[in-house]
Amino acid sequence: MKQLRTAIVLLIVGGLLTTVDLFWAFFRSTVVSFGTVTLSKTVETARPFLGRSALGFQYGKAWFSQKIFYFHVPVAEASFLVFGVAAFFAIRFLMTRRRDFDTKSRIAMETTLLFVILTMVTGDLWTRASWGVWWQWEPRLTTYFIMTLLVIAYFVLRNSVEDEERRAVYASAFCIIAFIDAPISFMITRLIPSDHPVVFTEGGLDPSQLIPFIIGQIGMLMIGYAIYSMRMHEELLQERLAAAKESLEG
Amino acid sequence: MAKISAMRQFRAILKKDIVMELRTKEMLTSMGLYTLLTLVVYYVALSRAGNGFDVRLIAGGLLWLAFLFTSMLGLNRSLVHEKDQGCLEALLLSPLDRPVIFFGKAVGNLIFLLIVEVLTIPIFIFMFLASSPIVGPIWEIALALLVGAIGIAGIGTLLATMSVNTSGKDFILAVLFIPIMFPLLYAVVAATSGVIIGDPGYQHLFWTSMSIGGGYDVIMLVAAYGLYEFIVGA
Repeated sequence: MKQLRTAIVLLIVGGLLTTVDLFWAFFRSTVVSFGTVTLSKTVETARPFLGRSALGFQYGKAWFSQKIFYFHVPVAEASFLVFGVAAFFAIRFLMTRRRDFDTKSRIAMETTLLFVILTMVTGDLWTRASWGVWWQWEPRLTTYFIMTLLVIAYFVLRNSVEDEERRAVYASAFCIIAFIDAPISFMITRLIPSDHPVVFTEGGLDPSQLIPFIIGQIGMLMIGYAIYSMRMHEELLQERLAAAKESLEG
Repeated sequence: MAKISAMRQFRAILKKDIVMELRTKEMLTSMGLYTLLTLVVYYVALSRAGNGFDVRLIAGGLLWLAFLFTSMLGLNRSLVHEKDQGCLEALLLSPLDRPVIFFGKAVGNLIFLLIVEVLTIPIFIFMFLASSPIVGPIWEIALALLVGAIGIAGIGTLLATMSVNTSGKDFILAVLFIPIMFPLLYAVVAATSGVIIGDPGYQHLFWTSMSIGGGYDVIMLVAAYGLYEFIVGA
């Protein structure tokens, strides 16, 4: 019970922090150029929705899209971290064959799936707003798409095996292989020189940008942990319910 | 009773696969025919591209596309027999080390894959690259094929052992296999295309891709070796 309360508190705090991150970015941070959109650094960042500036409507739209960045990157990094947690529990399951490790791995993967979908959606919105296309085979996008496919494949695999222990073993093994594969995918498109220019290059971040970013990152990790804990709690309740049903029938 | 050495165990499993294949010739003919049919589909796909179209630009990719799907077919076949005729249980009961089973099956798959590749390359060159010659040395293409085949056979054997026990079989293998294969595929297609097209600086691209592909092979083989024991025993 205490863990559930902690989880709910963390969820609220995490949500607040992420919101603070976004609002701070809206009102305080300096704006830099991304991709093909160039924004003047001296333009005020106040009153965003009215788009009052020399550049007019174009400025307003592009300006908003840059702020997605403050949500998108924390979610992406959090998704990778939670993926790591899932792989850790998968290794523990294979070592000890304890069922609760498999449940933990599965729930961590569900959280990863949620974050991965959020990353892809916000990333898509961002590419549309910044570059005008819905999708581009840029290295980072491609490799993240591969990670999405891996996480989806995990659940497809889980659903197609009937026997429970075999399902757990297969899923754990695949989780480990997928976690090894994801960073290799990230690196490979970076290391092999290609014709596609890497459009999105990150330089250093201003202090005014860095602080909301870090706040957002911590907030997102808190949300991740909270979702995981709450799902875990739900699983425990379901198991208790199943055991109670069985004891009533038997 | 003396313990059978690992080398003898490995050779026994390999010999079993090869003898069975020589008797039925099922896997080689089906894989070879499948690749040939894929080439026919390539012709249809490229038929509207016009005469000025330089096939060399996509030749590397086309080649590996054919190999990827043929290998999925072959991997599935090689393990379906084991399951249908209860061979896998028999292997588990016999005094064999589990990792040796992995190496035996993986090397068997590798040999069949290499045979299909070696037979396909001349046909592919004959059909599509007759007018535009390959710039780089042929042995570099052979090296790329070897590195790719090792990776496919290694991780493919593990995933095929998993997928043959599921309800989706071929489909599950494809869903699991292709995302995992992505880095290797990217590397070997870059290497093969570099050699075929021969843009300046392709040697550097080739060796970079080969080293990454080799690194991937090593990592994935170690992972598959470690995990196979759990998979085959489940």
